[in-house]
Parts: sequence; structure tokens; C-alpha cells
Amino acid sequence: MTTDAQAPTKVYYEDVQVGDEIPKLVKAPVTHLQLVRYAGASGDFNPLHTDSRIGELIGTGGIIAHGMLIMGFVGQLLSDYVGPAALRKFGVRFRGMTHLEDVITCTGTITEKYETDGRGYIAGKVQAADQNGDVKASGTFVAALPHRS
Amino acid sequence: MFDKSVIGKSFPPFSFEVERGKIRELALAIGDDNPIYSSKEEAQAAGYDDVPLYPTSPTTFTFWGNRKMIGQLVSAGINVMRILHGEEEYEYLAPIHPGDILTGVTTIVDGKTRQGQSGSMDIITTEVQYANQQGIAVLKARQVIIVRE
Repeated sequence: MTTDAQAPTKVYYEDVQVGDEIPKLVKAPVTHLQLVRYAGASGDFNPLHTDSRIGELIGTGGIIAHGMLIMGFVGQLLSDYVGPAALRKFGVRFRGMTHLEDVITCTGTITEKYETDGRGYIAGKVQAADQNGDVKASGTFVAALPHRS
Repeated sequence: MFDKSVIGKSFPPFSFEVERGKIRELALAIGDDNPIYSSKEEAQAAGYDDVPLYPTSPTTFTFWGNRKMIGQLVSAGINVMRILHGEEEYEYLAPIHPGDILTGVTTIVDGKTRQGQSGSMDIITTEVQYANQQGIAVLKARQVIIVRE
């Protein structure tokens, strides 16, 4: 029902196995400029992401990144892996604050494979963690994949 | 203290156009240089019919598409200065293309107050259902926000 006829296939259902790891994505260090750009792009102008004085006032220890920027990093991981049009569900829970200069690495594992009405689906878990291994966001996704004919 | 009487409350619908340029801007802010997000021509060269939605593009729908969002949260008694983002989840129900006119309806689906070591916090779940110009349900976005007292 949600087939997008005009979307290229990046990976076929038959080529994915439960336990497979998604090729990891290491992002460049988070910069203040990136948060300013992200504020404009997303429309989230909460000053705690761009103004260091706010962070000092409310005790977050300087500027913290938008949680949705970190989810965006994980989105890039999935976009690179299955392509954006294959996604059917994608959700994360935010587990920690990301600060300037943090280097975020996104990883994922396939946890499930199933077929419904002749269509193949994969499900997996994903996460984003910093250079110390502290998890910033973790979640799950479902993608619809075509069969090799 | 969260007022449980607002559970089930829906806000008036908001409408907006899905913009190609906003998809590109979001991808660039995230640091994703995949050319499929940069222009219709690049997207078509890669096999798409147009620029695909970024996995986290729905966040721009809530901030840019629903300009009344902050006021709606305030009207439900939520202190927007003390919000932390807890969870974000999307269900992509049908393809969304640049130029589509989407209409979203936000509903407060759950809310509770928890006592923690550093005081009480409200945990509030909102859901936005989006339909396109043909009335087809295209996206469900679920968000959990945490309001610290």
C-alpha cells in the first residue's frame, strides 16, 4: 500500500539476515555553527541549543545539541542503509545530552525479518553514542524491502 | 502538575506545503551530503521521482508547519521553558512528496506526573496525524516530552 514505485532499491530482503550489523556512521564533531544551522533548518529555536548563557542559567553545562539533530544522524545511518523511502517506522528515546565537540557514532543491528501480504520487512535497533560510549539516543526502525526477482 | 483533563484534547488542524528546499536544508544541517536530498534533478538521477523526505523531516512539520505549536502547549498548561525531549517516533504510512499539502492534527494522548529525586516531572505524549491533499493518511508522529517542575 505504501509502495513508492519511483524509489531505487538499496538492499533486497533476501540479502539481510537477523543479526546483521548496519554499516556504522561516524559523524564529524558537533559544532556551534551546526546547531545554528540545525535550528534554522528545523525551526527549533530554543536558545538552549544556541546561546551558552542559557545553558549556564539552567545548569546543562553550556550549549547542548538538539535531540532531533542526533535522531537526524541516526536517520542518515538508515538513509544510507535502506534509503529514506523504505522506512515504515523509526523512533528513538533520548538518553543523554550531547555537547559541542562530541563525536557521535551511529550503529544498528537487524533484529527481525518477516513477510506480510507478500512484502518483506526488516526491523532493527539503532543507537547513537559519543566518543566515551555514552548513549545519547536509542531506538528501533522497520523498513519494507523488495524481493529479489 | 499535569492537568489530566487535557488528555484526549485535539488542537485545530494546521496545513502547510512540503518544501523541497526545507528537505535539503535539513540534510545539510545534519551533515548528510547525499545528493538525493539536494535537488529534483539529483534525486531523479538516483532513481527517485523527486527529492525524498528526510527520515526526520517530520520535525520541520511540527516547528515550521505548525506555527501555533508553542502556544497550544502553553494553553494545555505546559511550561515550554522546562521541556526536555524524551522520545520521538514516526510511522511513515504513505509516500510524501515536495509540493504536497499536508494537514496535521495534534492530540494529547497521555500524561502523568512522576516524583523523582530532583522534584516532580510531567511526562506528556502527543501524537500528530497527517493527511495529504487527497485525504490519505501519510504520517503519524508521536512525541514524548518531559517537563521538569
